[in-house]
Amino acid sequence: MKHKKVLAVLLTVAMAASVAACGGGGNDAGSSDAGSTTDTQETTGTDESADTTDAADTGSDTTGDAAASGDAEFTIALCAKTEGIAWFDDMRTGVDEFNADHADVYAYEINPEGSDAAKQNAMLEDLISQGVDAICCVPVDAQAVAATLQKARDAGIVVVTHEASDILGSVDYDLEAFDNDYFGTLYGQYLAEAMGGEGQYYAAVGGLGMTTHMQWFNSMVNYLKENHPNMELVNPDGTPGEDDNNEQTAYDLAVQAIAAYPELKGLVDCAASSNGMALALEEQGRTDIKLVGLATPSQGGAYIKSGTQYRGLCWRPADAGYTACEIAYKILKGEEITEETSFTKEGYETITIDGNLISGNAPLVFTPDNVDNYPF
Amino acid sequence: MKIWKKIDKTQQFLCVIILVYMVVVSMRNAQFLTLTTLFNMVRSSAGTTILAMGVLVIMIAGGIDVSFPAIAIFGGYTSLRLCMAYGIESLVVTFAISILIGVVLGVINALLINMLKLEPFIITLSTASVYFGLMTILVGTKNVGASDLPAQFKMLSSAKLITTTNAYGGTIGLSVFIIPVVLCVVATWFLLNKTLIGKGIFAMGCNNEAARRAGFNVNLLRIFIFGYSGVLAGIMGIIYIAGTNSVNPVSLVGTEMSVIACVVIGGAAPQGGYGRIFGTLLGVILYYLFNQTLIYLGLSASWQDFFMGIVLLFSIITTSYQRRLKDRKNFIYTE
Repeated sequence: MKHKKVLAVLLTVAMAASVAACGGGGNDAGSSDAGSTTDTQETTGTDESADTTDAADTGSDTTGDAAASGDAEFTIALCAKTEGIAWFDDMRTGVDEFNADHADVYAYEINPEGSDAAKQNAMLEDLISQGVDAICCVPVDAQAVAATLQKARDAGIVVVTHEASDILGSVDYDLEAFDNDYFGTLYGQYLAEAMGGEGQYYAAVGGLGMTTHMQWFNSMVNYLKENHPNMELVNPDGTPGEDDNNEQTAYDLAVQAIAAYPELKGLVDCAASSNGMALALEEQGRTDIKLVGLATPSQGGAYIKSGTQYRGLCWRPADAGYTACEIAYKILKGEEITEETSFTKEGYETITIDGNLISGNAPLVFTPDNVDNYPF
Repeated sequence: MKIWKKIDKTQQFLCVIILVYMVVVSMRNAQFLTLTTLFNMVRSSAGTTILAMGVLVIMIAGGIDVSFPAIAIFGGYTSLRLCMAYGIESLVVTFAISILIGVVLGVINALLINMLKLEPFIITLSTASVYFGLMTILVGTKNVGASDLPAQFKMLSSAKLITTTNAYGGTIGLSVFIIPVVLCVVATWFLLNKTLIGKGIFAMGCNNEAARRAGFNVNLLRIFIFGYSGVLAGIMGIIYIAGTNSVNPVSLVGTEMSVIACVVIGGAAPQGGYGRIFGTLLGVILYYLFNQTLIYLGLSASWQDFFMGIVLLFSIITTSYQRRLKDRKNFIYTE
C-alpha cells in the first residue's frame, strides 16, 4: 500500500513537472531543438558557420529562452524532404552558409526521416507552434503540406517552397532553380548532340505523378519533335516509363527497352536513379546507346566519368537552399521581390517571376571533366 | 503429368497464367523470348526470392513479419559501411556481418513476440521503424555510388556463371546471384520438409496450443524461424546492394507488401499451417514477369499493380475454396 502511495506521489510530481515544462511553451522545445541542430551544424557544417552558431548556442544556453533568436532577429527554418541523403546534406551546407553570412538571422535545416509526408507535416506544425519567422519547405508531397503551409501563413509566418510549383496558392513564393520547360529542353539538346540528331530513344520518369519530371519529359519531347524530326520516341502512347526513383527499376527498364527495341540509340531518365540505366548499358557494352539523365555525382559520377552516361543534369542543392533562405530574409526585411532583385548565388543573380513563382537559371550539367568537383 | 497432380490447384492456376501470359507477351514482341530476359529476371528477382523464403516460413508458422526489408537494409548497409571504413574486401566477412545483424534483429522480433504475447504484425511493424531509425542514427543513410563501392560488391554485381558475348562486346550471362538463391531455396525446402523443426513450424501454424501440447517448444521455434528469416534478410541486403552496384538505403523500406503478396499468391495461408515453396517461387516469377514485360506490351507501370491485384484475388479464392472442400470432406464445417 505504502509503496503504491509513494509511486502515486512520484507520478503526480513527474506529471506536474512535465506540464510545467510544456507550459514554458513552444519556446523551450524550440531551444532544445535549436541546440541539437546547431550541434549537427558544428560537426557537418563549414568553419564559418560554427562561429556564429556558437554565439547563438551560448545565448540560448544561458537564458534558456526562445531558440537562438535571442541574438538573431529572424529565425528561418528549412524543412526538406528527408534526412540523411547527400542531396539534402548539401542543401544544409547552403543553409549553414546563409546562416554564417547573416548575423541577424538564425537559419537551420531539419528534415523528416524517410521522405515521409506525414512526418514532414508534423515537423511543419512544430515549427508553426515554435513561432519561427519563416519556413522554407521542399515538400515530400506538395499537395499534402499545402494546408499546413497555409496555416503557417495565416499565423504570419513567411513561407517559401522549393520544387512545389503546383501549390502556388498556399505559399508566398516558390523557388525553382530554373524554368522547368527550359531544363527539359536541355535533356533534348544533349541527347540530340550525343545521338547525332537521329534514332530511337526511350524515356523514363520517377513517376507519372511527379510534377517536375513530367514537365521535363514533355518539354524534351516537344523540343526534339521540333528540332530533330529524325529522332523518335519509342515509348508506347508517348507515356514515359516509371522507375520509382529506384535504381533496380531503372536497370530493369533499360534492359527491357534495349531488348524490346533493337534499333534503340538513346535513353533518358528524368529521375536521379539514372545510374541504374547506366549499369545496364555498361554490362551489355552498349556504347552505341547514349544516356542522358538526372544525376548526382555520388550516385552517377562513376558512369559519367567513364562516358557510359553521356551527361548528367542537375542543380546545386546548396545554392537552392541558400537562395530560398535569402528570399524569406528579403521578405522579412520588408524588401519587395521583383525581376530586378538579384540574389547572391550563381544562377540566381537574375531571376524571372511569374506570379509568385521565382525561377533562377541555375542548371548544372555534369561532364566527365567536372563531375568530381561536387560533393553531393 | 505426375508432377501436375502433385501440385495443388493454386499452383496449377499460376502455372497456366504464367504460360498464357508468356505466350501473349512473345506474340506481341518476339524479343521477349531471349536468354537476356531470363538472365535479367533471375538477377532482378534474386533478392525478392530470398526474402520470400523467410516470409513463407514465418507465414506457415502462423505469423507475419513486415520488418524484413528494414532488417535487410540494416544488415547490408551496415556491412557495406564497415567494409568501406575498415577496407575489408572479403566477401565472406561482408556476408557474415550482414547475416549476424540479421539474426540478432530477427531474434529480437521473436523475443518481443514471446514476451509480450502480442500479434507479430504489430511487433514487427514497430520494430521495422525502430530498426530503420536506429540504422539512420548509427550508420546514416548516405547514398553510395559505383565509384565508392568496395571491390567485393562490384565483383558480386558483375560476376556471371554462364556468359555469352553480345555483338557489342558486352557480356550477357547468368548472375552469380543464382547461387545464394538456390542455397536459400534448398535450405528452406529441407528445413520445412525434412526436419522436425519443419513439422513443428507447420504444427504451430495449424494450432499453436496443440503444437505446444504435442511437445514442441513453441517459443524456441519462434526464435528459430525469426532468426532464420533474419539470416535470409541479411543475405538479401548484400545482394540488394550488389544488384544496382550502388545503394540508396531508403529505397528498400516499403517493399515488404509486394514480397508478402508473392508468398500469398503462391498459396500460403495467411492464417498459417499451409504453404509451398514451389507456389512461392511461382508467385515471385509472376510478380517479376508482370514487372519486366510492361515495355514489351507497351503498358504503363500501373498495369503491374492491376495484374498483381487480380491474380492475388483469384489466388486467395482458389486457396480458400480448396481448403473448404477439403474441410467438408473431413466433415469440418467452419461456417
